[in-house]
Amino acid sequence: MRDKLNRRTVLRGILGGLSVGVALPTLDCFLDGNGKAYADGAKLPVRFGTFFWGLGLTPSRWVPKKAGADYDLQPETACLGDLKRKVSVLSGFRVNADGRSNIVHWTGHGGILTGQAPSTDRAFDLPSFDVAVADALGSGTRFQAIQLTPYGNERLTYSTRTGKSFNTPDTTPLALYTRLFGDGFQDPNSGSWKPDPSVLVNKSVLSAIGDERRALLASVGASDRVQLDQYFTSVRALEQQLEVQLRAPARMESCVLPASPGEQLKSGRMDVVNKNNKMMADLMAMALACNQTKVFNVVHSGSTSEAYLPGDTSTYHLHTHDEAVDPQLGYQPISAQLAALAFQGYADFIRALDGVREGDGTLLDNSLVMGFSESGYAKVHSIDNIPMFFAGSAGGKHRTGQHIAGNGDPVTRVSLTAQQLVGVLVGEFGTGSMKTSRTLSELMV
Amino acid sequence: MLNGLARTIAIVVAAGTQLSILASCAVHAGDVAAIVAPDLGVEEASSTTAIVAVRRITESQYRAAIADVFGSDIAVNAKFEPETRADSLLAIGGDTASISANGFTSYFAAARSIANQAVSKRGLGLSANCTPSPAVAKMSADGCVRQVLQQTGSKLFRRPMTALAVDQRVRIASEIGAQTGSVSSGLEAGLVSILTAPEFLFRIEKAERVDGSNVWTLDPYSRASRISFLLWDAPPDQALMNAAATRTLMTEDGLQAQVDRLMASPRIEQGVRAFFSDYLQLDLFDGLIKDPAQYPKFSVSVATAAKEQTLKVVVNEVMRGGDFRDLFTTRNSFINRSLAAIYQVPYASPNGDEWVPYTFDAADGQSGLLTQVTFNALFSHPARSSPTKRGVAINDIFLCQTVPQPPADVDLSGLTNAANPGKTVRDRLVFHRSEPMCTGCHTLTDPAGLALEQFDGIGQRRFTENGVRIDVSAEFFGIKLSGATGLGETLRNDARVPACLMNRLFTYDTGRAISPQERKLTPAMTKQFTDDGFDFVRAMARVAAQPSTYIVPASLAPESSGNAT
Repeated sequence: MRDKLNRRTVLRGILGGLSVGVALPTLDCFLDGNGKAYADGAKLPVRFGTFFWGLGLTPSRWVPKKAGADYDLQPETACLGDLKRKVSVLSGFRVNADGRSNIVHWTGHGGILTGQAPSTDRAFDLPSFDVAVADALGSGTRFQAIQLTPYGNERLTYSTRTGKSFNTPDTTPLALYTRLFGDGFQDPNSGSWKPDPSVLVNKSVLSAIGDERRALLASVGASDRVQLDQYFTSVRALEQQLEVQLRAPARMESCVLPASPGEQLKSGRMDVVNKNNKMMADLMAMALACNQTKVFNVVHSGSTSEAYLPGDTSTYHLHTHDEAVDPQLGYQPISAQLAALAFQGYADFIRALDGVREGDGTLLDNSLVMGFSESGYAKVHSIDNIPMFFAGSAGGKHRTGQHIAGNGDPVTRVSLTAQQLVGVLVGEFGTGSMKTSRTLSELMV
Repeated sequence: MLNGLARTIAIVVAAGTQLSILASCAVHAGDVAAIVAPDLGVEEASSTTAIVAVRRITESQYRAAIADVFGSDIAVNAKFEPETRADSLLAIGGDTASISANGFTSYFAAARSIANQAVSKRGLGLSANCTPSPAVAKMSADGCVRQVLQQTGSKLFRRPMTALAVDQRVRIASEIGAQTGSVSSGLEAGLVSILTAPEFLFRIEKAERVDGSNVWTLDPYSRASRISFLLWDAPPDQALMNAAATRTLMTEDGLQAQVDRLMASPRIEQGVRAFFSDYLQLDLFDGLIKDPAQYPKFSVSVATAAKEQTLKVVVNEVMRGGDFRDLFTTRNSFINRSLAAIYQVPYASPNGDEWVPYTFDAADGQSGLLTQVTFNALFSHPARSSPTKRGVAINDIFLCQTVPQPPADVDLSGLTNAANPGKTVRDRLVFHRSEPMCTGCHTLTDPAGLALEQFDGIGQRRFTENGVRIDVSAEFFGIKLSGATGLGETLRNDARVPACLMNRLFTYDTGRAISPQERKLTPAMTKQFTDDGFDFVRAMARVAAQPSTYIVPASLAPESSGNAT
C-alpha cells in the first residue's frame, strides 16, 4: 500500500460507476520534525474522554496541600505515581443548584456535564457537553463517540443529546471489542484495503430516511421534535460511519489489532470492575490509535455505586452513609478504601492511553481525559469540592501537572476549559449562576 | 383515505406504474381486491390532522410486529436499548425516549437480518399475492415490487404509507437491485429502509379535529394501534386496519366491536404480560447483579425463571375474571427446577426443567408477588436485603406514593460516629431513624420492607440474621401486621391499591401522565373495576373501548403546540 499509493490517489469506478475515496495515509515521513504535527502543519488528532466514578473521594485524602505545579499526591490519588506530571488536579469547584433541590447523587454530575442543576432525577434539562465535543471532533472517524462501562449495567451512561435519552454504553470488554474491531473494522495498516460493496448498499438504504426528515420534523411539536432530532442524528452517525468505511483508512503508526478479550465475569465486585475497566481501557486506547473514534465516555461505577469489596455484604453507597468516621483516622476507612479503588480505575484508564506511543509522545499527550464524580463528600451528599481531574496535554494545549484550587467557583469553569482545550469553539458555558466565560487560564498554553 | 378502486387506480397512474402492475403481476379478480384493500392504500395529506405524540416502540412490540408481518420463524437477533422509566412506567418513558447512535446501529443490523430471512423464507412476493419479475431492469416499473413494499410498509407503519414513502422504497430497491444484479437484494434493501424508518420504530400518534369544535381526538389508525398495543402488545391486525380505513373505529359501537374481538383472542395474555412487566418493573432484571459469594444459587437461569414465574402467576390470577387483589396473598404458584432450589421445596417433575404448578404450604410464609424471588431480588442490594428499597418499591408500585429524595447536605456525623450495636438490618434502620431528618421518609418506607425480612436478597426464606431471630412485625400506615402474609393481606384490602392500578393502566395506554382534565376518569375507572370484582382484563377492555381515552388533552392539542398541518 505504501509503495503503490500515490498520496492523492482517488479510486473511482470500483463499484459500478460509484465513487469511493481514499484517505491520505499518515506515514511517518509526513510528520514534522518533532512528531507533533504533519509536515503540512496539520496537527495529530486530539481526543477527548470523560471518566466518571460514583461517590467522590474522601475530602481529606485527595486535595493536594500545595497549589500550582509539582503538587503533592494524597492517599486516594497516590496510584497516579509518575503520571502526576500529566495530570492536573482541580479542587474546590462546586455545583450551584440555583434554587433547585440538590437531587442526591444526580445534581453533581448533571451540573458538570450540562452546566445546570437538573430539575428532575434520571434526566437532564440540557445536553451533556461531551456531545458538543463529539460533534466538533467526531467527523472523519468511524464512530462519533464511544460509550462504555466496566460495571456491566447498560443504564450507566450520562451522555445525552436530549437530556432524556442517553447514549447506550457497551458493558463488557467483549461487547466493546466487537463494536470496535468486529465487523466493519478496517485495519489501517493492512495494505490490502478494498471497499466492501455491502457498505454502499447500506448507505443507499439510509437515504430514504434522510429524505423524509424535513417533512416529519415540520409536523411535530417541540418535545416530539427533540426525540426525532436525536433519531435523525443517530441515522446520520451511521451514515458517517459508512462514509468512513468507503475510504481507505489512513495509516496509523500505533494501530495494532488487539486480540479478543473473550467473555469476562460481570460483577459489581470492585476488583472485577477494575479488571474489566483495564481491559476496556486497553481496547479504547487502541481504538483511538486506530482512529476509530476521537471521543469516549466512561462510567466506571454509578453515582449510587453498588460496588463492593470481596466478602462484604454491604455496598459502597451504603458504607458512605452508614459507616462511622473512625475517630483516630478521621475518615470512614472502608469508604476510603473503595474511593481509592474507584480512582484507581481512572488512573488505569489514562495509563493505558499513556502506554501507546504516538509521534514523539504518547496517545495520552494527544488527549484530554476529564475525570470527575458527583459528590464532594458522599456521606452528606455534598456538591462542594467535587473531585475533578484533567489528564493528558490535549496535543500541547493543556499545561499539565498543576493543582488548581477553585475556591467555590462553579464547576462550569472546568467544563468550559475542557471544551476549549480540545478545540470546541465555545465562549461560555452554563446557566444562571453557573454561567461562565472564565476558563482556567493557568492550564491553557 | 382510500375508499375505492377509482382512487387506487388514480394513485397508481399518478405513480406511473399502472401498466407494469398489469404486466408483471398475474392480476386476477382476487388480486384486484387485494390491491384496493385499505392496508395497501397511500395516505393522503390532511389539512386537519396533526402529530400529537411520538413513542418509541418497545422490544416486545418490535418482536410482535416482525412475527406478525414476516412470520414467527423469523429470528430477531438484536440488542435493544434499555427503555426509560418515567412516572413509574416505561410506557411513559417511551414518550420521551429516542434512539441513540448505538441503538440505531443495532436496529439497522436487525433490519438487515430480518429482511434477508423474510425474502429467503417467504419469497420475493412475501405475503402479497403477486410475484415480482426476476428481471432487475424492470424493478423500478414493476407494480408487484411496489405492491410488496407498500403492503409490508403499511403493516409495519401501522397506517397507509404516503406516496413519497412508497416511491422512495421502490427507488432504493431498484437502485440496489441494479447495483447488485439481484432482485432479492434490491427488495431486501427496500425492506431494510422500511424497518429502520421512524414510522416503524416510533408510534407516531396523529389526531384530528372533532367537527365544529376545538376538541382533537386520535385518528382511526392511531386508535387501532392504541387498542392493539394495549390488548395484544402487538401492532393492529388486518381487521383493525380495515376498521380504521372505514373509520368505524371513530364510533362507539365500532370501537366496542373491535375491542370485543381482540378480547376473545388468546393474544390478550400477551397484553396482560406486557402491562405487568412494566407495572412490576421486571426490566430491572436486565442490570441485576448479585454477589455469587453471598448468593451462590443465583444465576442468569434463576433470574430468567423468576421473571417467568411472576408472569405465570399474574396470568393465572387475573385472567378469566380473577380478582387482581389475590396477587398479594395467593400461595398458588409455578416452579421449575432452579426455582425449587431457591424456595427449598420439592420439585415434582423429575424429567427436565419444565414448569409445574405448585401450591405452597401455609407454613412457607408465601404471599403472592411479595415473597417471590422477583420482588425480593430486584429490590435488594447485591449481597443483602434492603427493607428500604422494598418499602420504596411497595409505595411506588402499588400505592402510587412517591417517596421524596433523601435530604441533601444532611449531616449524619453524630449518628454515624456513634456505635451501632445492632446485628440485624432492623437494628440498623431503627438506629438510622433516630436521626430526625431521616424519620419522615424511613417511617414511610421501612415498615413494609421490614415485614419481608424473612426473605433474603434473592427471596430465600430465613429466620435469623447474624444469629439473631428476625422480627417481622411492622406498623404500616397505622395497621399493625406481621410478616409477608400480614403485609399481603393489608395490601389486598387497601383501597389505594386498585386506584393506583387504574392510574397506571390509563397512563400505560396513553403513554403520558394524567392531564388535569383527565383526573376525573380514573376514579370512575376504579369504581367500575371494583364493581367488576377487580377483574383487570375487563378494565383493560373498558379503557380501550372508551372514546374519552382518545381525546387529546387541551395542553397537548395541536393549537397549543403549534404543530397542526
